[in-house]
Amino acid sequence: MNMPENDKENLAMVTCTGPVNIAVIKYWGKRDEDLILPINSSLSVTLHQDQLKTTTTIACSRNLQQDRIWLNGKEEDISNPRLQSCLQEMYTLAQLFGVEREQLSAVARQGSGSACRSLYGGFVQWKLGERSDGKDSLAEQVESESHWPELRVLVLVVSVSAEQKSVGSTFGMHTSVETSQLLKYRADVVVPSRMEEMIRVIRERDFPAFGELTMKDSNQFHAICLDTYPPIFYLNHISHRIISLVHRYNQYYGETRVSASNTIKYSEI
Amino acid sequence: MNMPENDKENLAMVTCTGPVNIAVIKYFVIDIESGGKRDEDLILPINSSLSVTLHQDQLKTTTTIACSRNLQQDRIWLNGKEEDISNPRLQSCLQEIRRFARKRRNTGDSTSDVSSVSHKVHICSVNNFPTAAGLASSASGYACLVYTLAQLFGVEREQLSAVARQGSGSACRSLYGGFVQWKLGERSDGKDSLAEQVESESHWPELRVLVLVVSAEQKSVGSTFGMHTSVETSQLLKYRADVVVPSRMEEMIRVIRERDFPAFGELTMKDSNQFHAICLDTYPPIFYLNHISHRIISLVHRYNQYYGETRVAYTFDAGPNAVIYTLEDHLPEFVQVVRHFFPPEVNGAEFVKGLSVCSTDLSEELKRNINMEPMPKGIHYIISTKAGPGPCVVKDPNHHLLGADGLPKKSAVSH
Repeated sequence: MNMPENDKENLAMVTCTGPVNIAVIKYWGKRDEDLILPINSSLSVTLHQDQLKTTTTIACSRNLQQDRIWLNGKEEDISNPRLQSCLQEMYTLAQLFGVEREQLSAVARQGSGSACRSLYGGFVQWKLGERSDGKDSLAEQVESESHWPELRVLVLVVSVSAEQKSVGSTFGMHTSVETSQLLKYRADVVVPSRMEEMIRVIRERDFPAFGELTMKDSNQFHAICLDTYPPIFYLNHISHRIISLVHRYNQYYGETRVSASNTIKYSEI
Repeated sequence: MNMPENDKENLAMVTCTGPVNIAVIKYFVIDIESGGKRDEDLILPINSSLSVTLHQDQLKTTTTIACSRNLQQDRIWLNGKEEDISNPRLQSCLQEIRRFARKRRNTGDSTSDVSSVSHKVHICSVNNFPTAAGLASSASGYACLVYTLAQLFGVEREQLSAVARQGSGSACRSLYGGFVQWKLGERSDGKDSLAEQVESESHWPELRVLVLVVSAEQKSVGSTFGMHTSVETSQLLKYRADVVVPSRMEEMIRVIRERDFPAFGELTMKDSNQFHAICLDTYPPIFYLNHISHRIISLVHRYNQYYGETRVAYTFDAGPNAVIYTLEDHLPEFVQVVRHFFPPEVNGAEFVKGLSVCSTDLSEELKRNINMEPMPKGIHYIISTKAGPGPCVVKDPNHHLLGADGLPKKSAVSH
């Protein structure tokens, strides 16, 4: 662990960068809202920080009056419950011992479920866990970022009209859990076998299988959103055209050369 | 059963009209062959379904069939154009009905001089609504065809489900008026996969239906991939069929019997959404709802939320058009809401066709609460209708679509 820098004001300061991850087997729905425990496992690809990253500096000193946070240039409300949850957990862990990365899963999860997957590079799974206290609901690396060097990712940033206000993920997935009869079946039956298959095709670097499974899971996620009441639409007509394009392109070559996974437009802090 | 008319050429002729039906618990229908069917040849569903038969004053298929020993071959005209009689589904219907009729002859059930099944038929059919309205006219078309053939050959209506199904699955539901279920059945030969009336069209007189015809220019992308899409690729479909639909069918029958609109409306919306969810869970995925459909859905939810109850419900089939269910008390206001948020062409044709709807004003508070940007010309027009009866015979010979020569009259073209 690094020693924080000390300057004349006895201000300790550390800066780190962290990556974005994109799920190929989607997380959507919690079995515990406070601990943020999922109803199914999920798996993601961590994207390279050269293109996409968060940079965070934390300064700590006895002279600071209160906890404060600035995000993208604007001061935000430190009392946000998820932030508080993370801070509490960190203080606790720090009291006991130097915090190792493996312990961070539980902490990151309490901020934002899928955050725990961003603690590792390459291909990462967030295991469902069985315990109700969530101590076994952790992220772990499946393969490192150097496992599949030929794999490339394009993020297509779609224009969204002002009209298209999306439902936030926390509220959205909560409504899905409450109202979608198909979701439980997805979580209990479909995802477990898809997780096994996804891990296998990544290990084997089987792109056509990886691609097809990724598209199927993206579609099923959006299907669940549609089966929610009221229904949630994250895909717009441009998303539909992209999906159409990918299928026609693959059809032309008679194989899955390109895959698409559609994500929601917002996620909350 | 009616005696078909005989004219100098010994041409028997019958004309019937048949209705459209709109499912509230959906049966899986995909444009391509293998969708959701237990056995392709028999066209058996994997789950039961339930629909509302719409009134023929607003939407109907009219079919005239002429039969005579002098006709050389079977021929068919649809909406003014001669079509290929060798279409497998048509052939299937014709063969099935002839088989039933022959069986009746052989068992000596036949009471009158109905037409001989060995004679050829000329079929002429028109819809009083345009194909562009996207109203699954195959259901009304095949139901009417089969019903008319039954009149000609002397087959009872109760036996027609199996025949209608050969043409188009949901056609069997158009054989009855009011609220109709198509029961799943258990037999692999499909003999118990039949339509039956749950309640008649007079059961719920306050129930109203609006068909919102979405503008043709705004076509959804992705409904035709040029690729064989099998709905069987959806892992969620089997769960829907085995677990979700059976309990929804029971609930739907109950809420219709009790005339419980809020429950009826909510269940209708949920089943429409689940149908489209399954389409999305197909590989490659199918998108029937376009951005206008999404806005209509949004509008309905906001409207209901404003009043704190389900006053209006939507359902969408394999296309972007919406069918709205509501009660007559709410009809004027909701039509006005649609007009406000989907302003029609200023000098265009009438926006609301069919049953007349009183005009009314909208409160500013309602508009503010709905809080959506109007989408001009998003909806082409509205057909206002209600539940209606099953197919019936047209007695007036002036309404025959075929002339004494067995060929379409010049007036027999679509609107």
